[in-house]
Amino acid sequence: MSAYRLDGMGRVNRGAPVNFTFDGKSYQGFAGDSLASALLANGVSLFGRSFKYHRPRGLLGAGAEEPNALVSVDRGGGRYTPNLRAPAVELYEGLNARSQNRWPSLQTDFGSINDRLGRFFPAGFYNKTFMWPRSFWEKLYEPSIRRMAGLGDAPTEADPDTYSACYAYCDVLIVGAGPAGIDAALEACAARKHVILIDENDELGGGALADPALAAWLETSLRDLANAPNVTLLRRTTALGYYHDNFIGAVERLTDHLAQPGHGAREQLWRIRAGEVVLAQGAIERPLVFEGNDVPGVMLASAARTYLFRFGVAVGRNVAVMAVHDSGWKDALAMAKAGVRIAAIIDLRETVAAALVDEAKALGIRTELGSAVIGVAGRQAVKGIEVSRADGSMRQKLACDAVLMAGGWTPSVHLWSHSLGKLAWSDDWGAYLPDVPNENCRCVGACGGKWSFGSGLNIGALPSPRDPATFKAFVDFQNDVTAKDIALAVREGMKSVEHIKRYTTNGMATDQGKTSNLNALQLASSALDRPVQAIGLTTFRPPYTPQTFGALAGHAKDALFQPVRKTGIDPWAEEHGAVFELVAQWRRARYFPKAGEDMHAAVNRECLAVREGVGIFDASTLGKIEVVGPDAAEFLNRMYTNPWKQLEPGRCRYGLLLREDGFITDDGVSARMAPDRFHLTTTTGGAARVLNMMEDYLQTEWPDLNVWLTSTTEQYAVIALQGPKARDVIAPLVAGIDLSPEAFPHMAVREGTICGVPTRLFRVSFTGELGFEINVPAAYGRHVWEAVWAAGQAHGITPYGTETMHVLRAEKGFIIVGQDTDGTVTPFDAGLDWAVGKKKPDFVGKRSMARPDIVASGRKQLVGLLTDDPSVVLEEGAQIVLDPNQPVPMKMVGHVTSSYWSATLGRSIAMALVAGGFDRMGETIYVPMPGKTLTAKVVKPMFYDAEGSRLNG
Amino acid sequence: MVDAALRTAPVPADPAVYDGVTITLGTPLERRSLRARDAKALGKLLGRKLPEQIGRSSEDVLCLGPDEWLLRAPAGTAVPDGAGLPLALVDISERALTLVLEGPRAIDVLQAGCPRDLRKLTVGEGRRTVFEGVEIVLLRTGEDRFEVDVWRSFASWLHLALTTAASHLR
Repeated sequence: MSAYRLDGMGRVNRGAPVNFTFDGKSYQGFAGDSLASALLANGVSLFGRSFKYHRPRGLLGAGAEEPNALVSVDRGGGRYTPNLRAPAVELYEGLNARSQNRWPSLQTDFGSINDRLGRFFPAGFYNKTFMWPRSFWEKLYEPSIRRMAGLGDAPTEADPDTYSACYAYCDVLIVGAGPAGIDAALEACAARKHVILIDENDELGGGALADPALAAWLETSLRDLANAPNVTLLRRTTALGYYHDNFIGAVERLTDHLAQPGHGAREQLWRIRAGEVVLAQGAIERPLVFEGNDVPGVMLASAARTYLFRFGVAVGRNVAVMAVHDSGWKDALAMAKAGVRIAAIIDLRETVAAALVDEAKALGIRTELGSAVIGVAGRQAVKGIEVSRADGSMRQKLACDAVLMAGGWTPSVHLWSHSLGKLAWSDDWGAYLPDVPNENCRCVGACGGKWSFGSGLNIGALPSPRDPATFKAFVDFQNDVTAKDIALAVREGMKSVEHIKRYTTNGMATDQGKTSNLNALQLASSALDRPVQAIGLTTFRPPYTPQTFGALAGHAKDALFQPVRKTGIDPWAEEHGAVFELVAQWRRARYFPKAGEDMHAAVNRECLAVREGVGIFDASTLGKIEVVGPDAAEFLNRMYTNPWKQLEPGRCRYGLLLREDGFITDDGVSARMAPDRFHLTTTTGGAARVLNMMEDYLQTEWPDLNVWLTSTTEQYAVIALQGPKARDVIAPLVAGIDLSPEAFPHMAVREGTICGVPTRLFRVSFTGELGFEINVPAAYGRHVWEAVWAAGQAHGITPYGTETMHVLRAEKGFIIVGQDTDGTVTPFDAGLDWAVGKKKPDFVGKRSMARPDIVASGRKQLVGLLTDDPSVVLEEGAQIVLDPNQPVPMKMVGHVTSSYWSATLGRSIAMALVAGGFDRMGETIYVPMPGKTLTAKVVKPMFYDAEGSRLNG
Repeated sequence: MVDAALRTAPVPADPAVYDGVTITLGTPLERRSLRARDAKALGKLLGRKLPEQIGRSSEDVLCLGPDEWLLRAPAGTAVPDGAGLPLALVDISERALTLVLEGPRAIDVLQAGCPRDLRKLTVGEGRRTVFEGVEIVLLRTGEDRFEVDVWRSFASWLHLALTTAASHLR
């Protein structure tokens, strides 16, 4: 192909040259060019290598439908995007684009050997060829195929860009700013509706951009729309999907076309809810299927028209046109009148509208009716064509440097189909047209079948005197699917288009069959001898064109990926060197290492400090629910396993919450603040789940109860002060509360002030030591913490984290729901039957506790384990067996749920769920580990201060 | 009332100023979750007539649901606790903090992550809604002024999300 720029044609700005590179070579285009038009203008015809056969490929189209010319654009610094369609890449100064899927170069590609070996790679070849030996698939076949067949390389660097997102509402959303879309926008604008008009191109106008006769109308219309306050115009914006209730997702590209991308967002995701959607997406011209139809220089007639009239580029100096549709004639005639030499118009039809034929003759254009192109000369560029009559007679060769295909038009019904609008086959169009809408949506212009391109013929492939099994005539250019592949799929039993698609890969990958679906349907229809409608149509799925992950993620990147919840005391922990862990959505201090300490050393120190002195712990993340109303006690009595009605105000109770199936789902200590007011606590991770569950019961099972639930998790900062010196530390800070053990016993709550801040002071312990949990309004949490910290200095106060909390509670055999339970553990299994009210008529889960499998013997039960070697700490999750000498696979009877080094005891401790565990006290169990088998004795899960004397200090 | 100087908040005290919008930490409030079947009984207790249409507010009470209201009054306002009555008042003063967005582009910043059509939120109205994945109570207190109540632990995320959206304004 010897394309060239024509003087005085097109909309590019000749006064603004733009320098760019393609495969390292420098070129110059103009502002307003696409990468495709600029390269064409420089005489470049070879744009890429095909997916499977590595055949040289040029441009097929001039828009979003382009299947061949995929390029990678590298802006440096991690700004790299593969698989961009060259016609959709706007030119900017310094643009650095590369071709793909070739080695060592686009011109000399070793992979093109595949083209010669093509008979070894028929459709479905990978389903048949690489079956054996199985182990070769992962190591050899798949990596080799991936290397040879493919699109561009995935980025290897982190994306430095940020992305934006927004929601928008409008009365009318119009997708596509061609003549039909602009008309619809003007009409809605005049009706004073709020309009959003979006178009994927940098310039609004669609087909009008390639029609000089519409230039004046376009300019006036766009000016009117731009000046209207009720119209939002979005250029460079692709409507990628159409979802329920007129919800449209669209991506606006903000910086990809700029020489300097700057610091703003690269793309913006628009989430638009529209009253009415008007689809004006136009139609895409169909290629024709014949031998050599993929030689660079063979392209769609409409694309050539666009390159000429929008970009001022003639695609060749001697252009042949192969048409089965009037639109090809119109394009050829328009181009001829603009000064492009047309070598011939070949049409398979015996008769074509006289006006077209006469005009061609008047322009001196040779016409060949009832004929078809049967071959193309040239490998990297068109050198000529061979033409014959439809019956194969009168073969002749014709010189040309470009071939234009006019196979008819396929309305772009992608979004319409996303919305589940129905389609109807049209013989006139040889395509499916929008029929019955499913949303408040209508199609205008070509995408609704309401545009006159003239008439034409619907065919699968052009006739050829040669055996169709001996040559490649491409149907899907991007996936290298040929007419004979479709024939093979049908021969091998594929009857539905869905099967044919998957067997041949027709219509897959980035272009989703925009140019290939209808031709494949026609071919399958002929091969099966069934009407097209009987073969079905593949489902259109979003996105309409490929989009970046960044655009879809929107704001959700880096620190905004998702909220990391932090307490008010978290900054103090950070300042004091805490190591953090994530617990549900929260970040919690895990331990506070001193210089030179690892976790083990820090936790040992923290544990001993709590047991011997006093430790301070941020428990603010504990879930909290305030249960208020005259029926509050009745409600809790029904929810929890244990009795609540007799609990006196000022006292606390451990609550165990089951699901309906009788298994433990949460636990926590709760306090009765007043006859009609309870302060519940839940696990950190269970807070939302428990509130939802309680609301569910309240609203659906017991709507008659006068009780209401309010999450107060974030109302209070909770400072746990644990250890024999805890009371000494807070005594000088607390006012209005008698802290003496007699007045304020274990499992009690009092209200007063601490450091002048109102507090709900709990006397509770998750460590087995004398302990308080100081609840203060969250804004004052840090202040009270610091005051307690200061007061504690004289007592050697030590901050501790979740890891120490875990060890201390394990020493006491307190469970952690979700660690020592797994959703299949009943209160009895966990040794918590004391917390089940035997006399209660009902509570959530009670009925299930009588199920045969729940009362059966041999259930896994929570026990303690002491390793025979006290220095060995078992691995949490390790499996337990009774006989280590049995053959593999061994019968596993349980697993270790919690395991720690206990500095207090100077040995390891563990908890485990073991089948029939309660009856195995004193027995030895075995824990097989790599290279060794560990032994341990089953004991009660209570390792420290079994009588609880320390709690009551 | 406790000394306000002892308070800490997870967002900067200084206003974040952008072209068209300023984002500021609101002053402390007395907040109560108010629940009752009978709006009149609750109104009587509080000495106010409660709005009965969801989203509407009167004085300092916003109706959030068929049996749910949110009181937002100046810090230190005395509020009864309703002991013994068939209703629930719960102190949630410090559960949330307020971010105030003011300026002609405030609505655009909120619309970056709030899926409601905020043009339809009239002055004096409020809604419990979301900003991306985070629950908020959003009140329109002026044509160009919004107050966003967000739970404390989500506030730093929301502040970053709003200021990022503000920095992306075009």
